[in-house]
Amino acid sequence: MGRRTDRNKEPGGKLSVAEFLRLVPERLKKIAGSSDSDVEQAADYPVNRLAAEIHPGTQNLRIAKVCTLSADTKLYTLIPDPESGTASLAPFAPGQYISVRVEKDGRILSRPYSLASSPEEAAGNGKGDGVYEIAVRRIPGGEVSGHIHENWEIGTRVTVSEPMGEFTYERLRDAGCVVGIAGGVGITPFRSHIRSILRGGESFRLILLYGVRKEEDIIFGSELEEAAKSGMIRVVYVYSDEKKTGCESGFITPGLIRRYAPDSEYSVFACGPSSMYRFLEAELPALGLRRKYVRYDAKGQIMEPRGEPDYTPADGSEYSITVRRNGDGKTVKCHPDETVMSAIERGGIAVPSGCRSGECGYCHSRLVSGRCYIPASRDGRRQADKIYGYIHPCVSYPRSDLVIEVPPVPAGPSVRGDTE
Amino acid sequence: MTYEYDVVVVGAGNGGLTAASRLAQEGLRVVLLERHNLPGGCAASFVRGRFEFEASLHELCGVGTPEKPGAVRRLFTQLGADAGFINEKNLFRAITVGEDGFDVTLKSGGEEFYRSVTEACPGSEKAVRKLRKLMDDTEKALEYNDASKGSPSKLVMLLKYSKFLLSASHSIDDILRSLGFTLKERHILETYWSYLGVPADELNAFHYLEMLRGYINGGAGVPYHKSYGLSLSLADVFLKNGGEIRYNTEVTGLIFENGRVAGVTAGADEYRAKEVVSNVIPHNVFGMKGRENIPPREKRLLNARKLGISFICIYLGLDATAEELGIKDYSLFVAHMASSRNQYLAEHAKGMYVVNCLNVAVPDATPEGTCSLFFTVPIFTEKLIRGFDSGNYREMKSEVAELYIEDYERVTGIRIKDRIEEISVATPVTFARYFGSPNGTAYGYELSKWDSLMARNLSQESELNIAGLTFCGGHSVRGDGYGVSYESGMSAAEAVIKRMKGSRDGQKD
Repeated sequence: MGRRTDRNKEPGGKLSVAEFLRLVPERLKKIAGSSDSDVEQAADYPVNRLAAEIHPGTQNLRIAKVCTLSADTKLYTLIPDPESGTASLAPFAPGQYISVRVEKDGRILSRPYSLASSPEEAAGNGKGDGVYEIAVRRIPGGEVSGHIHENWEIGTRVTVSEPMGEFTYERLRDAGCVVGIAGGVGITPFRSHIRSILRGGESFRLILLYGVRKEEDIIFGSELEEAAKSGMIRVVYVYSDEKKTGCESGFITPGLIRRYAPDSEYSVFACGPSSMYRFLEAELPALGLRRKYVRYDAKGQIMEPRGEPDYTPADGSEYSITVRRNGDGKTVKCHPDETVMSAIERGGIAVPSGCRSGECGYCHSRLVSGRCYIPASRDGRRQADKIYGYIHPCVSYPRSDLVIEVPPVPAGPSVRGDTE
Repeated sequence: MTYEYDVVVVGAGNGGLTAASRLAQEGLRVVLLERHNLPGGCAASFVRGRFEFEASLHELCGVGTPEKPGAVRRLFTQLGADAGFINEKNLFRAITVGEDGFDVTLKSGGEEFYRSVTEACPGSEKAVRKLRKLMDDTEKALEYNDASKGSPSKLVMLLKYSKFLLSASHSIDDILRSLGFTLKERHILETYWSYLGVPADELNAFHYLEMLRGYINGGAGVPYHKSYGLSLSLADVFLKNGGEIRYNTEVTGLIFENGRVAGVTAGADEYRAKEVVSNVIPHNVFGMKGRENIPPREKRLLNARKLGISFICIYLGLDATAEELGIKDYSLFVAHMASSRNQYLAEHAKGMYVVNCLNVAVPDATPEGTCSLFFTVPIFTEKLIRGFDSGNYREMKSEVAELYIEDYERVTGIRIKDRIEEISVATPVTFARYFGSPNGTAYGYELSKWDSLMARNLSQESELNIAGLTFCGGHSVRGDGYGVSYESGMSAAEAVIKRMKGSRDGQKD
C-alpha cells in the first residue's frame, strides 16, 4: 500500500496536448533569435585545434645538424620550418617513428625512422624551438637511406609524417621494469626512452641489452654509459662477432635475458632487424612471459621472405600488377619476393605509406583480383578486411597477377594512421 | 580535373554508405568521396597486437531475426549487403551506486522486457501495462502518419492519438511519471538516455520510446565482424553496383550554379553532379568554400543549435576470458547518481559510463584465452577535456583510463587492471581528427527540447533546404545512432531518386 501512496504522491507537471502545437512556433522563435553570421569553422573549435596540433598529418621540417655516429650511420637533427607551414613539432611518445618522404628521380619514396630524441626535446620551450633526431643507417643498396646520406645537409627541407606507432611504454599495461633488446640501429627508440627518463618524462627501470656485431658498431656509446649512472638504466653490450671483457658475446638468448632480468615481473621490448625478430619469436617463449609483457617495434620490411615460417612459394617468377586510381590504371611488374608496395613505388606511383610493417593501415588498399602471400608475422588487417579482400601492400607479396585499387597520398594534412 | 557524375556522396559514414549503395542500386552513376582511407566513419574497428577492437558500436536496435527481421536487417537485405548479425538477449544491466541506487538487468524481446521491468520494479504492474499501451498506441499513430503520407488529419490525431501527441511533446521523465512510475523506476527505465545525449527531463519521450521499442521488439543485435564489417559490406555492394569510392579525398568546397548545388570541389578537382548528398555535418559543409551562397536562415538554424556529445572510449584487451574474470554482461551501465540531469553535469567517474564486453555476445571476438572491454564515457560538456593539451595528452589519457578502470573494479568487484594486454584510449580529439566534426561531436546536434526529433520532424520541409543538396547521418532529423543513420541515408537516396527520376521523365524530347 505504501508503494501505491508513493506513486500517487509523485509530483508532476500537467501534460497537455497543446504543448505539441507549440513545438514549431518555439523552434522558429529560437532560430529567429540567433545570428545569421557565418558558422564557426570546425577547425577553430578548441578540440579541433588540439587535434591539429597532435595530428598535423605531415610536417615540413629542415635539417639543422648532421653528425656521423659510425661508419654507416648518421644522426640528423630536424627543426620546424615555419616558412613551409610547420611552426612547431607534433608531440610523441618514445618508441614512435616518423615516416620520412623523399623524392628520387621523380618517384616519391618513404621510410619509417624511430625518433631517437625525447618528447621533451621536441616540445622545447613551447615556442617552436623543439627538435627531432633520427639516426639513419646506410643500408647497402638502400634507395632511401643512400639518398638521405648523399643529399641531406644543413638547411635541406624535408617532409615527414606526424609521429606514429605503438612501441611505447604504457604504465597501465607494462611492467615497472623493461628489459630492452636493441639490435644494431634498433637502439634508437631506446635512446628516446632514456633521454625522456633522464628528463623526468617517462618513469620506469630500463635494462638495455644492446646487440651489435663489434664494438665499433655501437652508436651513442658514451651517452648510454653516462645515462647508466642515473641508476634507472643499465646498459649491457652484446657482441655477436667478438669477445670483450665486461661485455656479453653471442646472441641475445633467453638465458642472457634471465641473467639480467629482475626477479619481479618485467616487460621485454625489442627493436632490431627482421632476422632478430624471427629469432626472438622462436626463442622468447622459453621465458614463459605473459604475452602482454613482450612487445616488438613495427617489424619493418622482411628482407628475405623465404625465411618466414609460413612462406608460400610462387608459381611464377614475375607478376604484373594493375594499379587503379581515380579512374586511371597503370601496370607494373613485381617479383614474387618483393612487396606490392615496392613494385608500385618503383613504377612511379606514390602510395600512402607509414610503418611498412603491416600495422599502421595507412596503405590499406582493395585487392580487386589476384592472390597474395601475406606473412602471418606482419598481417595487421581486420577480420572484415580479409573477408572483403583488402590488403596492406607494404607486407603483401604477389602470387598471381593482381588488380589493386590504391588510394592517393592525401593532398592535405591528412596522414591516416591507426592511432588515436 | 573535372569529373561528372549523377550524384556525389560526401562522406562514407553510415548515412553516406547507405545513400550511395541505394543510389547505385538504382543504376545512377555515383561517386563516394571520403577523407579517411577507410569506409564507415564511426563504424570502424582497429587492431592492437592480437586484438581487434570495435571502435563505437554497442548494439544495433531493429535487427530482429532472419525469420522476423527488424528495420536494420531489412535495410541490409534490400541493399543486397551481406551482414552477419548476432542477437543479444540482455538489453542491459544497470548498476547505480549510492542511496537511491539499484542493480537491475532488463531483457530484450517483447514479453521478456516487460516481465524484467516488473521484476526490477516491484509494484509497477499497472504502470508497465500503461507503458506497453502507450508504446502500442505510438506504433499505431506512426502507421497512421505514414499512411497519410506525412500530412495527418489534426482532428484524428487529437481524438485518436492524443497519447502519442503527449509523448511527442513532453520529456520521457514527465511521461513515465504520468504513467505512475516512481522516481527510482523512472531512473531504471531511463538508463538509455545517454544514447541520445539529453537528460531525461528534457529528452523527447516519443524519441526515447521509439528507440526503446527498437531494442525491445526489433531485437538488439551485434554484427559478427564488428561495425567495420557492416561498413565493408555496404562498400562492397556499392562497388558491385558500379559505384566508385575515392578515399583520402577531402571535399573542401560546394559549387553553386543558378542557386543550386551543382557539385563539390576537393582541392583542385571538381566533381560535378545533378545532386549532392552530404553525410558531413552541416556545420562543416557551411564552412566550406562557397559558403557565401548559404541563405541566412540556414546559418541562423546552425548558430542556434548546440553541438551533440562526444566520447572518451577506453579499449582494453585482457589476457583472461570473460568467464575467468566473472564478466557476465554484454552491456553494463554504471552510474554514481541516479538522476540523468546530475549525470549530465557530473565530473569524471562521478557520472555515468557504459562498459561492453563483446565476448559475451560474440565469444570468439578475441583470441582464445582473452576478452575485451570497451568503456564508453559520454562527454556532455566541454569541461571534461579541459586541462588536456598537446604536451600532457598521452598522460591525461592514461589518467582518465585509470580512473574508470579502478571505478569499474570497485563497483563490480571484477579485477581487470593486472590483465591489461592492450589498451587504447580515444577522446573527442580522436573524433575531431577522424571526422573533422566541430569539437569532435559524434552525435551531430544536441536533441535539446526545441531541437528534438519531433520539432525537427515538423520543420524538415523548410530547413536545410538547399536545392541539389541533401543531408544524411547522425546529425539529421532523426538524431544519432547506427540504425537511424542508415535509415537517414536511405531517405536521402529515395528523395534524390524521386527528384532525378521525376526530372528524367519530364525531359521528353
